[in-house]
Amino acid sequence: MSRGRNLGIGLAFLLPNLLGFAVFTAGPVAFAFGAGFTNWDLQSTEGLRFVGLENFANMFTDNQFWLYLVNTVYFLLGMPLAIAGSLGVALLLNANIRGLVAYRTLLYIPSVTSGVAIMILWKVLYNPTFGPINRFIEGLLGLLGIDAKGPDWLLSTNNLLALGVEKVGFVPAQFGLGAREAIIIMGIWAAVGGGNTLLYLAALGNVPAELTEAAELDGASKWNVFKHVTWPQLAPTTFFIVVMGFIGGLQGGFEQARIMTGGGPAGTTTTLAYYIYNKAFVEYQMGYASAVSLVLFLMILAVTLVNWKFGNKEVNY
Amino acid sequence: MRALFVACFAVLVVLSLVAWQLVPPIDDQGKTRLVWSTDPNPVRQAQVDLFNKLNPDLHLVIDPNNTDQQKVIVQSQGGVGPDLFDCYATEQLEAFVLTGIAWDVTDELVSRDINVQSMVWPVTLSSFIYHDRVYGFPRNFGTNALWYNKNVFDEAGVPYPKEGWTWDDLIETAKKLTKRDKTGRPVRFGLYWDFNTTAELILQFGGRQFTPDGTKCIIDSPEAAEAVQLSRDLMYKHKVAPSPVDEAALTTQGGWGSGGMTWLMKGQVAMAYGGRWWLNLMRSETAKGLRLGCIPLPKSKVDTVIGYGGITCINRHSPRRGKALRFLLFLMSKPYNELLNDQADGMSAIREYCLTERFLHNPEHPEEDYNHVWLSLIQIAQPAEISPFLRGNEMAPLRNQLDLIKGNLKPVKQALRDAARDTNERILRNVRTSPRLRDLYEELTGRRP
Repeated sequence: MSRGRNLGIGLAFLLPNLLGFAVFTAGPVAFAFGAGFTNWDLQSTEGLRFVGLENFANMFTDNQFWLYLVNTVYFLLGMPLAIAGSLGVALLLNANIRGLVAYRTLLYIPSVTSGVAIMILWKVLYNPTFGPINRFIEGLLGLLGIDAKGPDWLLSTNNLLALGVEKVGFVPAQFGLGAREAIIIMGIWAAVGGGNTLLYLAALGNVPAELTEAAELDGASKWNVFKHVTWPQLAPTTFFIVVMGFIGGLQGGFEQARIMTGGGPAGTTTTLAYYIYNKAFVEYQMGYASAVSLVLFLMILAVTLVNWKFGNKEVNY
Repeated sequence: MRALFVACFAVLVVLSLVAWQLVPPIDDQGKTRLVWSTDPNPVRQAQVDLFNKLNPDLHLVIDPNNTDQQKVIVQSQGGVGPDLFDCYATEQLEAFVLTGIAWDVTDELVSRDINVQSMVWPVTLSSFIYHDRVYGFPRNFGTNALWYNKNVFDEAGVPYPKEGWTWDDLIETAKKLTKRDKTGRPVRFGLYWDFNTTAELILQFGGRQFTPDGTKCIIDSPEAAEAVQLSRDLMYKHKVAPSPVDEAALTTQGGWGSGGMTWLMKGQVAMAYGGRWWLNLMRSETAKGLRLGCIPLPKSKVDTVIGYGGITCINRHSPRRGKALRFLLFLMSKPYNELLNDQADGMSAIREYCLTERFLHNPEHPEEDYNHVWLSLIQIAQPAEISPFLRGNEMAPLRNQLDLIKGNLKPVKQALRDAARDTNERILRNVRTSPRLRDLYEELTGRRP
């Protein structure tokens, strides 16, 4: 069979997917890029017109954009803990113990459970008065002789970096645990045992046994085996997880805001993804929303390129 | 390879055909099907049944899953919108009109000698008439009043409230009815006060959110501050109304649902500010034994309340819009409005159907001896304030500041000052970027922004 004919058959197989991608992904993305430079407003009586960089100029002077960008970045702070947790669980699940399949299944259950159900459950867990989390915290403090109330969690604007609510900056009075931490903790819980753990498990299976055996024979401790043999071998997987984590994190926060907090209190859990949705489908400013999404895309691209440039230096392929 | 590809393709086609055949057919019994995008209120089906009975050639069905404004707009612009849809506020009507979704039925009504303006309560007009053109008709309307649970009052030995009472009386009564357990956790609050209704209190205290022409946000006025301060103090100073944290606790404490309606029914709050439509739940089996009273809020500087309701509009892009018009005419009919008043799904927007003995004293519900309250309130009601310079639901700065007050995170005056500043900045930005709004602004103020 000729090379050209093979190519034709291959393309024919790919065609349904390519068509779907072109119509439902590439096309809308290209359209959104163009829309970012227009005044497109679903409820405007004015004709569609090119407004150049006006949307971008408005965005950079928009206090809300910066606040929500900070929120988005803040939520990424949970990523190192989520990755460390995934790795820890993967190491445990890689051990040769009885009931391993059951443990693996149990830990993966949250990943196949409806996100909405999980978020509603966490909302109850975070109830400041009756939620089990505060009950536990208050009980623990009580044992230590401290009579204190637990955090207000999803109802609080406090945060561990003491970020301000209305303007980008630090406000010491805002220090504490609040809605942002509540969502980060839930995110870590969801990530540990999820897809990242599976990736690490697969990677651990590929670590050559002769390397670890050689290190052990040379008298290396378990920690040193992990540090000098296992961890370097996991570098490609870690690099992939970090890149995907950044991409997902910068795009994230929509479901949590929609289901758990409505973006509040006072906008503290509104991320750029939720802001884009509100601008487009609540305020109908499609052009502006497209401009924000374009900036978000560029940010993700930049972070990914930086990761590629500097992050894979330690990767041992 | 080619054979494999063709075989796969053929299998997919066959499977698609099978799936297509398996989809159950819609049986409209030869009638024209009309889709109404509306809320799934339990009383709605009886209204639909009555319409279908009176219009045997039509089959009206409810679509409760696509009622969000953005869904209606996007679907309708894509050519797959409902025939009829609901809108709930003047700014929503404006959105539906400006996006070209709502059908202008003025000429259709004039040709039938129908003068809607003369039929309805004045407060309803701005909710379905835009720039003197008619775009729909209210399927219900109403105001809020203060419900009280007589069982709770009796148990606490507190006399029922009487018209003419003051805010001090209300707060004292609510204090007597508020109960906490030994640990200080709330068991019952004297009052449920939805912070969103503060807009109504602002009007009653002589303040406004916007100037009458909507060109400026003036929520930082002393009158508005006094009203918002009272709203805040009910939660944090007098501690008679649940704060956001208390609300979360009440929700977890019991039963299905949440919000003032459920808490009032369950005796978790003694009084709650809500509409006549709350009776949809209060009359249900789950509320058996509940005895209710109803009274206006204490009078302040201005004797007013905010009127609100659901407006049904016709999709301009619907190929069946002529038939859908018959539903709008049905909403103006006596059978529908009597059913509506009997169901207590708010009240009729048409005056003559409310000024009746049947409205005041429903023979099926003789215990409801407070319908005169709704009748008196609708006559002093005014529409919610809006600014034509804020697009869609562009009230985020205001909402965020009210969130901060509600959470006791910011002093009232400072929050309102910031809310006014941020909202005015937004108004000016919209005016600068939109030629239409710029022209309107110049026309109203006589100056360029």
